[in-house]
Amino acid sequence: MRPLGTISKLCVSTLLLFFMAGIGQNSASGQSTDSPLYTSMDNHSVLDVQGIISLSDALSEIENDYDVSFLYNSKLLEGKLVESSILKSDSLAYMLSELLIRKGLSYRKETDRTYVIMPKPEPEEQEAVLETVSGTVTDSQSGDILPGVNVVVSGTTTGTSTDGEGSYVLNVPSLQDTLIFSFVGFESQTVPIEGRTQVDVELTPETFQGSELIVVGYQTQQKATSTGSISTVQGDQIEKAPVINAENSLVGRLPGLVAMNNTGQPGESGSTLRIRGSNTLGDNSPLVVIDGVTNRTGGLSRLNPNDIESITVLKDASAAIYGSQAANGVILVTTKKGREGKPRVSISYNQGYTQPTRVPEMADAATYAQMINEIDMYRGREPRYTDEDIQKYRSGTNPWTHPNTDWFDAAFKDLSKQSKINASVSGGSETITYYLSLGTASENGYFQNSGFQYDQYNFRSNIEGQINDNLNISLNLSGRRELQEAPIRGVGPTFRALMRGKPTLPAYWPNGQPGPDIEYGDNPVVTGTQATGYNRDKRDVLQSNIKVEFDVPFVEGLELESNVSYDKDYQFNKLWETPWYLYTWDYQTYDSESDPVLTRAKRGLNSPQLTQDASDNYQATLNLIGRYQKDFGDHTINLLAGVERQTFRDNFFSAYREQYLSGSIDQLFAGSEDQKDNNGSAFEGARQNYFGRVNYNYKEKYLVEFVGRYDGSYIFPEGQRYGFFPGISVGWRLSEEPFWQENVPFLEGFKIRASWGQTGNDRIEPFQYLTTYGFGEGYIFNQDELVKSVQQERIPNSSVTWEVANQFDFGIDAEMLDGRLVIEADYFNYLRTDILWWRNASIPTTAGFSLPRENIGEVVNTGVDGRITFSDQIGDVSFDISGNAGYAYNKIKYWDEAPGVPEYQQSTGNPMNTELYYQADGVYNDQAEIDNNPSWPGARPGDIKFVDVNGDGSINGLDRVRINKNNMPRLTAGLSLDAAYKNFDFSALLQGATGAVRYVFTESGEIGNFLQTYADDRWTPDNPDSEHPRTYNRTDEYWTSNQNTYFLRSADYLRLKSVEIGYNLPASLGDRIGLQNMRVYVSGYNLFTIDKLKVFDPEASSSSGQYYPQKRVFNAGISLTF
Amino acid sequence: MKKFILTKLVFVICIVLVITSCDDQILNKKPLDQISEDDLWNDPALVETYVNDIYRGVGHGFFAVNVSSGVDETIITHGWNDAPVKQSNLTPDDLGLFGNGVVVPFDHFHWEDLYSNIRSANVFLEEIEESPVEQSLKDRLTGEVHFLRAYFYHNLVKLHGGVPIVKQAYGLDDDFLVERDSFEDCINFIVEDLDKAASLLPTVIEGDKAHASKGAALALKSRILTYAASDLYAQNPGGMAVTGYTGGDQMARWRRAKDAAKAVMDLGYSLYMGNPAPGDSTAKNYGDLFLQKDHQEIIFARYFLQNQSYPWNQADMGLFHGPNGWHNWGGDTPLGQMVDAYEMEDGTKFSWQEYRNGDPIYGESPYQNRDPRFYASIFYNGSEWRDRPADMIEQDPEGIVETAYFEMEGQSDLRPGLDTRDGPIEDWNGTYTGYYMRKFLDPNVDHQFYRQEVPWIFIRYAEILLNYAEASIELGEEGDARNALNMIRQRAGMPDIPSGESGQALVERYQNERRIELAYENHRYFDVRRWMIAPDVYENGEGVRIIGRLNNDGSYDYEYNIIEIDQRQWNDNAYFLPIPRYEMERNENLVQNPGYN
Repeated sequence: MRPLGTISKLCVSTLLLFFMAGIGQNSASGQSTDSPLYTSMDNHSVLDVQGIISLSDALSEIENDYDVSFLYNSKLLEGKLVESSILKSDSLAYMLSELLIRKGLSYRKETDRTYVIMPKPEPEEQEAVLETVSGTVTDSQSGDILPGVNVVVSGTTTGTSTDGEGSYVLNVPSLQDTLIFSFVGFESQTVPIEGRTQVDVELTPETFQGSELIVVGYQTQQKATSTGSISTVQGDQIEKAPVINAENSLVGRLPGLVAMNNTGQPGESGSTLRIRGSNTLGDNSPLVVIDGVTNRTGGLSRLNPNDIESITVLKDASAAIYGSQAANGVILVTTKKGREGKPRVSISYNQGYTQPTRVPEMADAATYAQMINEIDMYRGREPRYTDEDIQKYRSGTNPWTHPNTDWFDAAFKDLSKQSKINASVSGGSETITYYLSLGTASENGYFQNSGFQYDQYNFRSNIEGQINDNLNISLNLSGRRELQEAPIRGVGPTFRALMRGKPTLPAYWPNGQPGPDIEYGDNPVVTGTQATGYNRDKRDVLQSNIKVEFDVPFVEGLELESNVSYDKDYQFNKLWETPWYLYTWDYQTYDSESDPVLTRAKRGLNSPQLTQDASDNYQATLNLIGRYQKDFGDHTINLLAGVERQTFRDNFFSAYREQYLSGSIDQLFAGSEDQKDNNGSAFEGARQNYFGRVNYNYKEKYLVEFVGRYDGSYIFPEGQRYGFFPGISVGWRLSEEPFWQENVPFLEGFKIRASWGQTGNDRIEPFQYLTTYGFGEGYIFNQDELVKSVQQERIPNSSVTWEVANQFDFGIDAEMLDGRLVIEADYFNYLRTDILWWRNASIPTTAGFSLPRENIGEVVNTGVDGRITFSDQIGDVSFDISGNAGYAYNKIKYWDEAPGVPEYQQSTGNPMNTELYYQADGVYNDQAEIDNNPSWPGARPGDIKFVDVNGDGSINGLDRVRINKNNMPRLTAGLSLDAAYKNFDFSALLQGATGAVRYVFTESGEIGNFLQTYADDRWTPDNPDSEHPRTYNRTDEYWTSNQNTYFLRSADYLRLKSVEIGYNLPASLGDRIGLQNMRVYVSGYNLFTIDKLKVFDPEASSSSGQYYPQKRVFNAGISLTF
Repeated sequence: MKKFILTKLVFVICIVLVITSCDDQILNKKPLDQISEDDLWNDPALVETYVNDIYRGVGHGFFAVNVSSGVDETIITHGWNDAPVKQSNLTPDDLGLFGNGVVVPFDHFHWEDLYSNIRSANVFLEEIEESPVEQSLKDRLTGEVHFLRAYFYHNLVKLHGGVPIVKQAYGLDDDFLVERDSFEDCINFIVEDLDKAASLLPTVIEGDKAHASKGAALALKSRILTYAASDLYAQNPGGMAVTGYTGGDQMARWRRAKDAAKAVMDLGYSLYMGNPAPGDSTAKNYGDLFLQKDHQEIIFARYFLQNQSYPWNQADMGLFHGPNGWHNWGGDTPLGQMVDAYEMEDGTKFSWQEYRNGDPIYGESPYQNRDPRFYASIFYNGSEWRDRPADMIEQDPEGIVETAYFEMEGQSDLRPGLDTRDGPIEDWNGTYTGYYMRKFLDPNVDHQFYRQEVPWIFIRYAEILLNYAEASIELGEEGDARNALNMIRQRAGMPDIPSGESGQALVERYQNERRIELAYENHRYFDVRRWMIAPDVYENGEGVRIIGRLNNDGSYDYEYNIIEIDQRQWNDNAYFLPIPRYEMERNENLVQNPGYN
């Protein structure tokens, strides 16, 4: 870039303030082309461009800006000076023309990104001028003429370039020859002359997108020459899913990333993210890095999806640059930046309607009553309901005495609202770029008058300023307020009450008053609403980082960067509990009008109470990074070294009062002076590390990379605190080899790569090496004196240290059909060693230990993942189909196992987190079957038959078998289609997973209703041949209290995760109303699912259905760009 | 050149930042919410807090389901894995009520938790030696910890028989593969700890009964010696050293037990309202003894506070077990057999047959003229209780328990009582037996909203008198036995035992007296085992279905039908709990109890 004469008069901070003020003004006034910012930049003398620079400097600017390299003999450029103002242009074509062609030079494209600069070919001695061809070259998109385009006759050195008007004249040997048009920033075109003398050509711009440059941790790399197993998804893909939480838009988008959506609760609807499955017995969550800063509050889930430029996942040893926290892979999030150009204002508005993907189908009142009678019958008790009762429940003729309640139906709205509004302005000059955004998101729960609600307000200001030739400073500031509200009974009890809801009890009495509870006052049509007070969680988060990039003068290729980040968040939670009221009828009393007399009574608690807590947390990160790049002819070397430290501290305080006289003041002072309490605590931690990376490539063909990190964590004792985590990866771009190009020319951009490395995991409770004593619940002496109590936290382990991930990866990248088909595929084999686990399976409990974690476990995880993308244009239809899949299978190689456990029950050799189940083998159809088989004491017909696995003639715990599946799928896949036709665009994502199982067992019997599916075709004395068990009363039966395979169901599924159809207003129409672009669209999320589970959503996080079900979203949106 | 000044400045700032960041000290963090080992053992206040925590291991008896539902006292309405115990279907994988289930919270009866508490005690006993706290505090705390360790072992031994005696705090590299010690050695070890405790602790007759005292140590010694002298361990049907005595003299053991009880009796404790004045409600006296926070009968107790938070299934007896018509859960409800065990007020046995025959002592209902303790321990149809909650107060302004079904004028359907399983409030929490538990329930607390502050009494003086009586009977010193029993009966308002009652009749009278006096207090489960009467008492549970027949004047005549509501059975392996499978699999040196595999 250009030197800015007098800029150094200003100190950095003043300048920044000035920029910020200017921008603030700009966004506030909402102007476009002649915004104050723009004007001030152009007119201000400080920014006036006056210089003349050397041509080589000018070229290196272009190299930086466009990520290309020029190869030339330096003598060629010697003494050539150019006006730096040329570089101000938006048009690369213009620049190249001005810089090279006018200086008597020419160039040729060597590889994708490499251009060789040559002297302009001297006009050849024309012995015989045969033919002349002329024409004009234009930009196919803008229609602009293109000066400086190289035109060469194929197979010769004969060529010229277009002039300032984009025209060329060339003498060719024959009109049957072929011309090759090439130009920086445009795709080359090969055009047979075919006898014409006028050959006009339109060149298509090459897209310089993030897909070409990838973020790899502390720097970016070219995708083509990177050697890690790295997958990226662009922000626009993430925006396709109409969800509030960005985590939920990742599912199915990235090969090897498993995202299981756990809940649909507003403000909670995050996903469990796993990169390449699970690797450790402990915490398997990946490290999330946002704009270079690790572990930021709220992570990915609270980030405004519209602010995301791209998300990159480091899946293999390339993550070793993040050392101690990288063992489970790293998710790198980059937020949007401004681009040079006019201010671009975008506004989007999304209105969504949500509903649960699935609510369980529960038995109706008649069926339920019948089943309760069966329970009574099996217990030898008198049946509770008469045939007449059951008939009344069935007919629905007596809604007062014999209701038939569908609790979900009574409690839920058909559709709930969610909305998102975003506004952003971005743009910039050569010296400063900015991206500013404001957004709000709002999400309401499923309940009528829902007590569940989430609102978020966020802003972001990413500003980057080129202070002078050598100094670039950027400031990213983002802030948000998160307001999450839930009714005081929360998700657990509320959904428990819904699942248990007896169809024979009224949710509302026929006169509209809420009916009785099952217990605790839990009638979900009331407790799911705002009628019970509120539990309001408010968080204010402010995250900042300042980045200073410094090109060290006199040392070409050396760059220093420093990042300072300070994140602050305040949390303020208020739990205001007030009594609520339900109506009871004794089923006897009628008033004079013969209407039942209902009694209103206080439920839940007797008087209001308030719990308030506040926490105040910060995290500070500081790093310094040096980067050096140097080309030695065919050798390119890239070095990176850095040091980083991070400190954080959380403080927490809470206060409580009860026995409020009234519910009208929800403040602490108004509560009882006697019944009150307070509490508080804090914790802190720090990490410090040194890291480096060396990249080397020869002719961009043979690639090798080393990364290493020396990482220290407060979690471990001095001496074991630091760990070194190295990684090496190599790549070979076979497609750059002549033999390849000759033999398999259709496989372009073919690269094989392999990596091995170690990363670490320190995610355990800190201070395992100390013998410390923690405060317990206390004990009451002297009748009413609560005194403190302390207990030993654990036996210390003085040698506790890192868990190590050994990661091997082998992968290929390939392109075919001129880049229209792109393939990436990987095999990986990960061995996690020194896993921090407790030796509590083998040490007898008579030792009485509370054990520390020790570095004992070993888990191996292998699998494959890959992605294949095909894009093309047929007529007016352009499309992009991308499929990805990942398979991961883990196995415990070693962990602590009790020595006496029989082999078929051992965990070792099985995947992690598997459990023991009795083997269900149908049901006993009659007493004879029980008598003739080993069976559970007291078994009766209709009970589930357990297999006598060890053949000892009796059924006991030794007959349980370890099932090698759990609730994490092994194979996950996504298939996305994006297409555009004229002004329409369409995108869809199908997503599926297999290999997971879920236990489906609800709280049923007298305690609550049955799933319809367990009611259907159940064993009864009248249906003795059924394969399904008899009616049960909660865990009273041995086959309901002992986990068995009857209730274990496949959770395989395939679902239409998201779909979107959009229409772009024609440009001509837009121009007339001053719009650059207007797009309207409709979209959906979780629209349909094919699965075997049927009862709950296949991603359900609860075996009893007592959780907030996943969302389906119908959405319509509009986005405007000025 | 000015631009280089700026760039150099930035460069220097960066370097400074990095240099300051390369300070390893920043990794030296300490937990902000924990105390270091040195601090703890050098600070008397903290040493005491450590002992306070060990107390938590003693547990209590105020759970949503209690041991009474594992024996012939109550049935748990909700079916929380009570079947294995009451049907003797225990396995090493499933210890039923004594296992690690989600609902069942008897930490103080769990092998694993007990040994964890024993370790805490052992750590203390090792660390206190070097601790610079003053001798008097050291003595008191040492005494308390010996008592607590004995208490933990006493729980283990009464459930499992002989268990490994662990006297040291192991380190990570020690050999943990211990063997079970004999029943006899365990008893001796417990007694040794208790003697040590008694020698170090003060006697507390009135005051803080939550702290262990000399009385508590001697009382626990009386209990464990009474247990040890019992038939189960003398006859030792299991035949192993861990299941009982393989030699020795049972009578000598009874003598030792009697002496131990006598030692407590000599300390000065007395029965609460032991000499009722004429006109006193002895029923109220008996009920109040459990509601008062302190009196001279309490030897060792645990206290609760309304505001303390406890797990959902602990310390809220009114909510757990009160009648459903008060929005309570009707959890442990008395079996018909338990209710029928209450004598008539004249000391004769209750009999449905004689009630139906119209024996004049019975009055109008089987619930009239019973042992006064009946009225303090049982809710029956017609019991008076506190005001109904707002939604039922109009239907029942007086707060009378309704477990009957009532005929209605002009209707064929019966009206289910407010506290039945067909009532209008939380019907599924209604009793199966027709009764609810009343003992321990504070009538002044609205249990649907508030926790009561009734203490759990581990050991009270009445138990010592009963232990004394039992040993006396076994030793043939029946006069001593009758005297002790009569003290208890006098407080209860019951007539003395006929002076001629002797032999088996006296044994049965004693056993029934202990059953009634200590109802729901976690004794009966162990008593029926050590007396070896379990095979007889594990019979199917009974309840009563009551129908109120409408008279012309609007009053009701009640019809009582005895119904069977619960299946129970006995197997001899249930004399002891199995050693849990998880422990057997870890330690090959352990021998399983008889009858389990």
